[in-house]
Amino acid sequence: MSQHYIVITGCGRLGSMLANRLSRDGESVVIIDRDESTFDNLTSEFSGFTIHGDATELEVLRQAKTERADYFLAVTSNDNVNLMIAQVAKLIFGVPLVLARVFDPAREDIYAQLGINVVCPARLSADIFLQTLKAAED
Amino acid sequence: MTDPKSKIIVVDDERNIRLTISYALEDANCEIDTAVNGEEALQKLREQSYALMLLDLRMPGMDGIDVLRYVADQYPDMRVVIITAHGTVQNAVEAMKLGAIEFIQKPFTPQEIRDVVANVLARESIERKPGLDYETHLELAKRLISARDLYAAMKETQAAIAIAPSRAEAFNLLGAIHELNGEPSQAKKHYRVALDLDPTFALARDNLARVSDRNRRFERPRL
Amino acid sequence: MRVIIIGAGKTVYYLARRFVAKGYRITIITRDAAKAQQFSRKLSATIVQGNGSDPQFLEEAGARRASIVVALQSTDQDNLISCQLAKEMFGVPRTVALIHDPENAEVFKKLGVTVAISVAQMLGQVIEEQVGYEEIINLAAIEQGRVNITEVVLMPGAPAIGCALRELKLPQNALIGAVIRQDDVTVPSGETRLFESDRLLLITQPHNHGATLRAIIGEGH
Repeated sequence: MSQHYIVITGCGRLGSMLANRLSRDGESVVIIDRDESTFDNLTSEFSGFTIHGDATELEVLRQAKTERADYFLAVTSNDNVNLMIAQVAKLIFGVPLVLARVFDPAREDIYAQLGINVVCPARLSADIFLQTLKAAED
Repeated sequence: MTDPKSKIIVVDDERNIRLTISYALEDANCEIDTAVNGEEALQKLREQSYALMLLDLRMPGMDGIDVLRYVADQYPDMRVVIITAHGTVQNAVEAMKLGAIEFIQKPFTPQEIRDVVANVLARESIERKPGLDYETHLELAKRLISARDLYAAMKETQAAIAIAPSRAEAFNLLGAIHELNGEPSQAKKHYRVALDLDPTFALARDNLARVSDRNRRFERPRL
Repeated sequence: MRVIIIGAGKTVYYLARRFVAKGYRITIITRDAAKAQQFSRKLSATIVQGNGSDPQFLEEAGARRASIVVALQSTDQDNLISCQLAKEMFGVPRTVALIHDPENAEVFKKLGVTVAISVAQMLGQVIEEQVGYEEIINLAAIEQGRVNITEVVLMPGAPAIGCALRELKLPQNALIGAVIRQDDVTVPSGETRLFESDRLLLITQPHNHGATLRAIIGEGH
């Protein structure tokens, strides 16, 4: 099994779900949140590390050994935080694959151009809705 | 790894750490056993022998330091690697003085675990001399620098210099410590000493060039 | 020259007023409705009420024709994103971001912001220039001198260097209120370790002042 080292910022619904699943699949996960109580979202499937801190501070990302990460997932509830730390992970720490969740579709394209992989939930849902409608018509 | 199948025991009260290490070493040629506390670890040591122990310092009940003292005394051939939390490097350094041969800081990547285990098992013999040698002091200093414990790093560097004052490496590290501590003029001084001692020392030359460049930014000194 | 200023604080108001006086054309983007009203009453500037890191409001503020965008919001990430959107989407040639974490200065420049200004760093520099290299500076005497605030610098050889605060033998009713290291100011705990060149703010009383100084910077005081 080839195990990856994955840093996740934000332990809300999405972050904790990703952390639990990746951990269950045997990946090595570090999850960062500035609110310690969010770590309650982690289940017994989670076997990684938690760091209580603000990921917009370089020092916290260093503590997570971000420079060694294979993947970096920026999934806090704040678009600007995600866009900022995703760029920091990619350009300052050199993480090979960085994904950021961004709620506002207006900011999606510009950051895709800057080399950040952006996942926009509204756009994804819209795609699925439309596909389903299309399938029903056919 | 040297042995056909090395036996390793992981002693940590946190299930996460035991799991992470077990996963990381799954494909390595070794057999993993775990213990949830110091008492269980000693029990298992009585039943069979291990090549290596990965030991958390902070555990409820008998803590890591107690286990380490006991092991150093009773099982001097077993190697011990310390698992330490962020910001507690000082404890790990103390543990190394008690005979642990490496430490690893949480969180760690699977590769770090594999590297540490492979390195430690590959070492021919453990030298538990009362005083550490030049290389060990340097190695400790480098680790302390990466852990940002500059004060402790400075002490290790000075210890190295006391052993071999004409070697350049420790002066380069001393320069790096001053640079990280925001004292460029002190840093320059030490990089220069390193270069005087060994004019071919590329790391010190690079560091001196960088710290002298007014437009330099955001690069860390090379250790 | 067209300048867009983003934020809601007093700095936004005074900066805008100054630029207006110089004849620049100012647009302010602010999220705060009350501030937006206040600005529009007091300044001859265009006010856009909205989110300064949303492309829609940047466009409305005339970002396509702006020469410079100044982001003075309360978080570093908002200022970064405002500047990047201005530059990348609307081609604004120069962007200025206020930053709170001084470490972000270099990060922001790498990420394309023209100028990143750290208040903590500037204050640190100014204070350092002011105080020079004096070892002890009496900053204030309170309650007719019954309480003194003193700043001391840890010169080489000071006994406190390398000690954690709890290891220092300070007299009763004396304390170290702040440790200034480089640009960082921390309110120390017992675990805080002191380094050479640190500057300490001491709070002492006349009867323990001398003993405190001796414990920290040594004999001769």
